[in-house]
Amino acid sequence: MMRSSVTERRGDAVSRITMRDGRCHALYAGNHSISVIATPRHDTTTGRCHIAPMDDSRTRNRPPAAAHAPRITSHHTHHHGVFCTIVPPHVLDRLARADDPALHEPARRTLERDALQRTRRRITTVRGIRATAADREATDQPQRTIYDAGNREELPGEKVRGEGDDPGQDASVNRAYAGLGATFDLYLKVYGRRSIDGGGLPLDATVHYGQDYGNAFWDGERMVFGDGDGEVFRDFTLPLDVIGHELTHGVTQYTANLEYFSQPGALNESVSDVFGALIKQHSLGQTADQADWLIGAELLTDRVTGEALRSMKAPGTAYDDDVLGKDPQPATMDDYVDTSDDNGGVHINSGIPNHAFYLAATDLGGYAWERAGQIWYDVLTGGELAADANFTDFARLTLAAAESRFGAGDEQRALQKAWSRVGVETA
Amino acid sequence: MRITVTRTGGFAGITRRAGLDSTGRADAPHLEELARAALADGAPDRPAGVPDGFQYGIEVDGATVYCADPRLSAAQRELIRTVLREGA
Repeated sequence: MMRSSVTERRGDAVSRITMRDGRCHALYAGNHSISVIATPRHDTTTGRCHIAPMDDSRTRNRPPAAAHAPRITSHHTHHHGVFCTIVPPHVLDRLARADDPALHEPARRTLERDALQRTRRRITTVRGIRATAADREATDQPQRTIYDAGNREELPGEKVRGEGDDPGQDASVNRAYAGLGATFDLYLKVYGRRSIDGGGLPLDATVHYGQDYGNAFWDGERMVFGDGDGEVFRDFTLPLDVIGHELTHGVTQYTANLEYFSQPGALNESVSDVFGALIKQHSLGQTADQADWLIGAELLTDRVTGEALRSMKAPGTAYDDDVLGKDPQPATMDDYVDTSDDNGGVHINSGIPNHAFYLAATDLGGYAWERAGQIWYDVLTGGELAADANFTDFARLTLAAAESRFGAGDEQRALQKAWSRVGVETA
Repeated sequence: MRITVTRTGGFAGITRRAGLDSTGRADAPHLEELARAALADGAPDRPAGVPDGFQYGIEVDGATVYCADPRLSAAQRELIRTVLREGA
């Protein structure tokens, strides 16, 4: 029988790709809530995969725990175009390093061709990645790598600083490195979460992306920062809350995986602003009444009339400028903005849940990450928050989380008041 | 050739729109070639994009396609940059 296979074990999870009789058999099994077991049949004429259930392998999801070392067996060469993207990325990485060209060639092609599609899939698929991620060895230390795109728009760029390396001359690189560390710190020390996936995922960032590029984004695998256009925006690595915001998109991707559109999208954005702000407050040791509750306070150039990009304290007041226009964020449901731009106003209507968080956190006082932040974290990671949740769904879950974490008391009352003030129903 | 670029999304969530007419410009042949390539590389619907990523609509003589960072073709990237910088 013509056959090539790779088996990889991580903790209690096993992944095996076998090519047999012209078919690609992919098996991935872990001890978490899901097991993906499938037999893709590769169609070499179209490059597409057909997935059919595999019925004989559900007993294999508990390999011996001691078997950590990947074992690679390769018996025969068989030509394939690309692997199906149901193959977990870390297995593709392993395949790409295999000696047998029958394994590494399609894996390398798949990695190259599908890097961005996999990214999108990770954003739009809910649970598959969680099991993969949780199988990594958890660690209490971040594993940071910073890349320099050299003002081109190719990712990830050249590696310029790894974990434990001394600071270099490039301030953007050093800020990104420190910001990743501050983000890792808040999630670990306050919420006991190891990296953004809870399983010690390495943290990667690319700086100097594009020319005069006035943006930062999360591409599904890494944070990407532009230098700013110099006219309106400065370097996007400057504000710590922007770094925390981007990495929190990673946390959301690995947990509730809120859709990036309309109200769930605005919740996705708001959660990133909330934890971005908390990462900054935690790093500065600020209480709720000491914090500025601004997002991107260092981002605007001196030419811009404004103090930041967003204000959680007073949404809609962060800037009012000839070039930028006026901050469009509403603070309450009365001013909710219906638009097709910006994925249905995800960066606009996030002002409403942002303001609710600010109201609850300042009402409770003290360090905002301790009570309000804990409640938000419980909702985001608790498994009850649907990917298509709206503001009311989220608000109700905060009340439930407050009660189960702190009992019926100040926290619940502060939340009820906050949601009511922004006009979000909780009853 | 009338070329319009609309950029939405991004960390700031601010929409920018700019357009120009290639007629009479010294770089008209190059711009028009870019525009044709950008149309061919684009999608008929808005792609999902990535969190905080810019999304673009490119309109060329009434035909519109969409694309999103970081997945732009070289022609789309250059055209978007030129129109947003030099258009009105």
